[in-house]
Amino acid sequence: MNKLQPQCTQKPFFTPGTTMLMVLAAIGFSFGLARILNGLGAVTNLDNFYPWGIWIAIDVASGVALAAGGFTTAAYIEIFGCHQFKPLLRPAILTAWLGYFMVAVGLTFDVGRYWNMWQPIINWQGNSVLFEVAMCVMAYLTVLTVEMAPPVLEGVKTWTPKRPALASVMRRAEKPIVFAYAWVKIVLPLFIVAGVVLSCMHQSSLGTLMVIAPTKLSPLWYTPLLPALFLLSAMMVGLPMVIMESLIAGKSFGHEPETELLGDFAKVIPWLISIYALCKFGDIAMRWEEISFAAHPDATVAWAIEIVLGLIAPFILFSLKSVRQSAGWLLTASLLVVLGVALNRINVYIIGYYPPFAGKRYFPALGEIALTVGLIATLMLIYRFFVTFFPIIASEVHAGTMSAEAQHAAHHDAVQPFWAWFFRGTAVVFLLGFVALYSLVHTEAIAVSLKASHEVQTAKISKGPKIETAAFKHADRPDAYRNLYVLNSPLLNKTNDYYEPVRFTHRTHDVNSGSTCSLCHHRQGSNMNDRVGDDIYKMHAEIDVRISGTPCIACHKDLTEKQFQKCSQCHLSSNESDFPARIGLKGAYHRQCIACHQNQPKTAHAPTDCVSCHHPLVPDHKPLLKIEANTQLSRQTVTGKCLGCHEETGHDILKTAHWNWQGRTPTISGQEHSTHIGLRNIIDNYDISLIPNPRLRDFFHIGDVRLASDWKDLTKIDCLVCHDTTATYRRDASEETIAWNNVAEKVGRPSRANCGSCHFYSGGGAGIKHGDLSPLLVNPDPDVDFHMGKVDMRCQDCHITSKHQIAGLSFNAPVVEGRIGCGVCHGEHPHGITGILSRHIDNHVKTVACETCHIPQFARKYPTQLSVDFSTAGQDRTDIPQQFGKPGYDKRYGEQTWGQNIVPLYRWFEGSRQNYLLGDKIAPDKTVVLNEPIGDKHNPKAQIYPFKVHRAVQPYDVEQKMLVAVKFEDCLWRDFDWNKAIAEGMKEMGRTFSGKHGFVKTEMYTSIHHEIAPARQSLGCADCHTPENIACTRCHTNAAGMNQPEHTQRVYPAFPNRFDFKALGYEGDPAVTGGRFYMFFKKGRPPK
Amino acid sequence: MLLNRRNFLGWGLGTLAVSAPRLLGQEATASNGDEAQHVGCLVDTTLCIGCRKCEEACNRRNKLPHPDIAFTEQTVFRQERRPSAKAFTVVNEYTGAPSPDQEWMKETYAKVQCLHCLIPSCVSACIVGALTKTKDGAVVYNPDVCLGCRYCMVACPFQIPAYEYDVVLTPRVRKCEFCANFVKGTGADPACAAACPTEALVFGQRSSLLTLAKDRINRRPDRYVAHVYGEHEVGGTAWLYLTGRPATEVGLLAMPTFSPAHSTEAIQHGIFRYGIIPFAVYGALGGLMWYNHRRTQQSCKPDSESGQQVQEARHE
Repeated sequence: MNKLQPQCTQKPFFTPGTTMLMVLAAIGFSFGLARILNGLGAVTNLDNFYPWGIWIAIDVASGVALAAGGFTTAAYIEIFGCHQFKPLLRPAILTAWLGYFMVAVGLTFDVGRYWNMWQPIINWQGNSVLFEVAMCVMAYLTVLTVEMAPPVLEGVKTWTPKRPALASVMRRAEKPIVFAYAWVKIVLPLFIVAGVVLSCMHQSSLGTLMVIAPTKLSPLWYTPLLPALFLLSAMMVGLPMVIMESLIAGKSFGHEPETELLGDFAKVIPWLISIYALCKFGDIAMRWEEISFAAHPDATVAWAIEIVLGLIAPFILFSLKSVRQSAGWLLTASLLVVLGVALNRINVYIIGYYPPFAGKRYFPALGEIALTVGLIATLMLIYRFFVTFFPIIASEVHAGTMSAEAQHAAHHDAVQPFWAWFFRGTAVVFLLGFVALYSLVHTEAIAVSLKASHEVQTAKISKGPKIETAAFKHADRPDAYRNLYVLNSPLLNKTNDYYEPVRFTHRTHDVNSGSTCSLCHHRQGSNMNDRVGDDIYKMHAEIDVRISGTPCIACHKDLTEKQFQKCSQCHLSSNESDFPARIGLKGAYHRQCIACHQNQPKTAHAPTDCVSCHHPLVPDHKPLLKIEANTQLSRQTVTGKCLGCHEETGHDILKTAHWNWQGRTPTISGQEHSTHIGLRNIIDNYDISLIPNPRLRDFFHIGDVRLASDWKDLTKIDCLVCHDTTATYRRDASEETIAWNNVAEKVGRPSRANCGSCHFYSGGGAGIKHGDLSPLLVNPDPDVDFHMGKVDMRCQDCHITSKHQIAGLSFNAPVVEGRIGCGVCHGEHPHGITGILSRHIDNHVKTVACETCHIPQFARKYPTQLSVDFSTAGQDRTDIPQQFGKPGYDKRYGEQTWGQNIVPLYRWFEGSRQNYLLGDKIAPDKTVVLNEPIGDKHNPKAQIYPFKVHRAVQPYDVEQKMLVAVKFEDCLWRDFDWNKAIAEGMKEMGRTFSGKHGFVKTEMYTSIHHEIAPARQSLGCADCHTPENIACTRCHTNAAGMNQPEHTQRVYPAFPNRFDFKALGYEGDPAVTGGRFYMFFKKGRPPK
Repeated sequence: MLLNRRNFLGWGLGTLAVSAPRLLGQEATASNGDEAQHVGCLVDTTLCIGCRKCEEACNRRNKLPHPDIAFTEQTVFRQERRPSAKAFTVVNEYTGAPSPDQEWMKETYAKVQCLHCLIPSCVSACIVGALTKTKDGAVVYNPDVCLGCRYCMVACPFQIPAYEYDVVLTPRVRKCEFCANFVKGTGADPACAAACPTEALVFGQRSSLLTLAKDRINRRPDRYVAHVYGEHEVGGTAWLYLTGRPATEVGLLAMPTFSPAHSTEAIQHGIFRYGIIPFAVYGALGGLMWYNHRRTQQSCKPDSESGQQVQEARHE
């Protein structure tokens, strides 16, 4: 045996086998490169449930385990003194070194931030098992490098390069090499022992790693004994690994297998297996009750393979002498142990790992497998490289040549004893220092861990931190604005960044809840019929805040004194740290509402989504716009900024009536299915037509359209006219006067001012056209409009908007994009169903529109135009006095009359109208009604509606007998040549003009929907019905309450004949002659 | 899996390092956080309406990417979701009324996020201390030192930490950090609790919340299951759950009452405390090596019985 000396193999490095390995390595590392370039997700099948794949289970865990050959062989030979196996030591150390090399490379690819891999050297976290593994692996790799040094140095020393330059380098390096060799030889024993200790530490720690996941690792493997089992299995696999590697290498290099030596070497293996098996089976026996073999069949199969083929079978084989004497059987048995331990590691890290909630099981991706195979191939290549060029594998010494080791022994002896001891000392200091430092960190970690537990245990109650709410505050929410809302509180606005407050419709809720006040108000009704409920005192007496131990009412005695309290008196901010039991205001509102809404049947229309009650709040657009410094937006670029995020919205806009000025007209009789009707083919009383007048048209259109192509151009949309919140933007303002950046950053939901910027000025000036719309509505008194003045409703609260199509019916604009009604909020029984009077008023709804009673007069505070006479235009008259502050004569339009506080005209209206369209023939001798509402008493759909009627004298084409469009701007208003202006106007409309004009009287209806008066100011019974005709008072003259104003007195005594019942088709006052349904259906008789 | 402290202790005593049992005993009593100054959050699943406002608030506060499906969309409930790198908290829907006295409700909703364990496994596992527990109890993450080993994800019993697998160079572990900003050092300040419309989430001191939770249970024994999830689970968690159905029916996992971190820490501390065991092993092996070396030098013959001796030496 002494003949065996480590030598370089005499085989060439490049063979078909190594070429194939190179290909495999190249494939593997190309996947590795892909992982570096594209990230883990691109190459691996790892996910949040399986953070560790085969790169950890095979490259790292199995790699470390199978590298155990290094430390077990070193211990076997050097520590236990079995020097006869020394020829096996160097290959074993090389294999171990390669194994750890694979761990390091594998980890580099596996960790997410490989560039941060040095961090554990600086940031020590002694409680972490993985930290222990990392430090030990790093230290052991150093140790292995030292152990690898002798053969490498020997190889380098004997290398004689042919190139002269290299040869001279080698000559100079000779001395340091000799020195290093001497140092290594002296300190090697210290490092060998350190290597064994370090290996024991991290081999076991690799098992401890998974002890932290008791709920994830299958009980087939999970045990607190995992570290012991990992260490014992590593000891068990070390020697078989060396045997296997030795046999394969021998075969590869054509050596005779050293069966005798290996057989002796294997004698100890059954003992090692039996120690591990005893622990393993003992552990399983102890935990037998926990283990369920049926839970995960695939895991059970893997477990059985690991036990039978990886443990029992090799134990039997290695115990047999015949096996130990046969190279083939030795290889088989070793292979079984090696694969068994590798399977054990894969089982613990992957197959037995059952994370909760995981959908599909992990299976390695092609890239993972390829890189692992490539790494193994690389290892084999490096192995071959080392054994080819360095004296690693022992073979019989050729006669006459002195072994490299023997040569260097001479150098060893040459070292002075002082230096020898110095070397040993430095090595000892190095090793002990490392262990001491490491232990110190652990001791510190223990202290930290115990301190944390101690804090948890003994810390006294202290006030928790308050919630920081500044982050939620919206930039520019006007304070005055929000106080108008019903369910609003500064408390809520502190934390709310999503929604505007709810406009709570009390009446609807009152009616729908059957007027059970106690449902919402804090009087606890005992059942649904109990409308009064228990006193608030009783309820709150029960709600004692257990945290403080005191009932609310102990301090808040006034809770019982007043009947109603503001909710916010008790319900404060959410998450109050002092009183967590107290529900915050937001929670109180929501629980109150949501609990009820969820419990309603579908027919109740109780929404349960957020936006049915709240309007979403527009976020601060300053950070979203990201306007670069020192750049100013302009009219041309600002829309592009909006479209950057809202391009879909742009396409929506192009489909709206506000953009196209034409669309579906379901309310125009005879044109119900047309889509071509719009401002292009109707004539009105005020501007006659906008189309020929570009300045007016530009002002009223929501974009800058001048060319035909502009109608399809998204960038021509003017978003700001509707979404400006700064009130500094106007369509007709010049480019320089607008602070574009400021306006764009503060965009928001349209306010009344935005809609009003056009609609309050329609007809050519403030309040001219709509009697019920005027600039006053931007910020009205409740007297002017209750909805807008009292509860601050915006236009779109009623004119519900979907994809920028705005619901509502205008008598002037023909297009309808959706219908609205009061019932959406006020329900089917707006006046309540609980009292006789309420029911009686409610019965009116079938016949009388809400507006009729609730808008007793229109233009209440702001005058509106009642008539205009275009035939008198063009004169310089000053004789006609102003009316209500408005001119009685305007050179551009002619004589005008104005009115304020006007009683509407009441007419039946079923929802559709006759509309004059350009080209329709007229009878010039009669008054032309441009848009006559359809409906009469006998139409059950019709209701009595209030209208404004505007009268005009406007030009017409005498020859063609039709109304005409007029070009005012730069034409009529320059020289008042009607014929020229009409000819120009008709040309713009695509029509011809005969050249002869006359003037005709026209009437135009405008339905009245706004300026809803407060309830007290709406019409009383006696405003329409004469007091003596009111039915109930005929009998109940002396009954209590019958002298109430709503019964016998007029709210508006100045207008005694408000309703002309005869004109509406009744025989007389329907309170006497009977309602229309009595007569129409002939089902009953009118009361006498 | 039936894993209790007694069982575990038995094994620790019998086989492992000498000081492990003492440590375990010591720490096991410390896992009850009743009087901690830690903050917490109480989730009452009987009050949750599944509006997903908490998800939206979380998304905004943490500047997470805009989701593909809007936060107002309820179709996401069709499958059980888990927290991910793009959503630190998710609400899941479970069929059936949240509690026996809410039979009109057809679904139960439960919010999932990091529970901020009192003794967090992830913090114990983290190799470089990138995950730490702040003074008020939030478990926060420092990406600067993280090397991306993902051991925290293995360690977390609740399957919470998520990873940015798609990020090439600087992937992070993402999870709820109780809105406690690591960089600015601010305390816990959960956006989700502030956003909850029904106050199904109550943020406050953990001890107060425990009292509150038990108070609610006492007041409404017909509504609540008499168990505050998180009071003892894995040694206690900062987030507590009050449920009207067994917790396991609404996506909460049955957990042992001791912290798994204590198991590994006991083993680690037992082995490495003051370095006694490594030093002792080093000394013993070194001595043996020296003895065998001398013996071999004295009698240069190979010892055929050495294999047997190795066995005996190891049995000792």
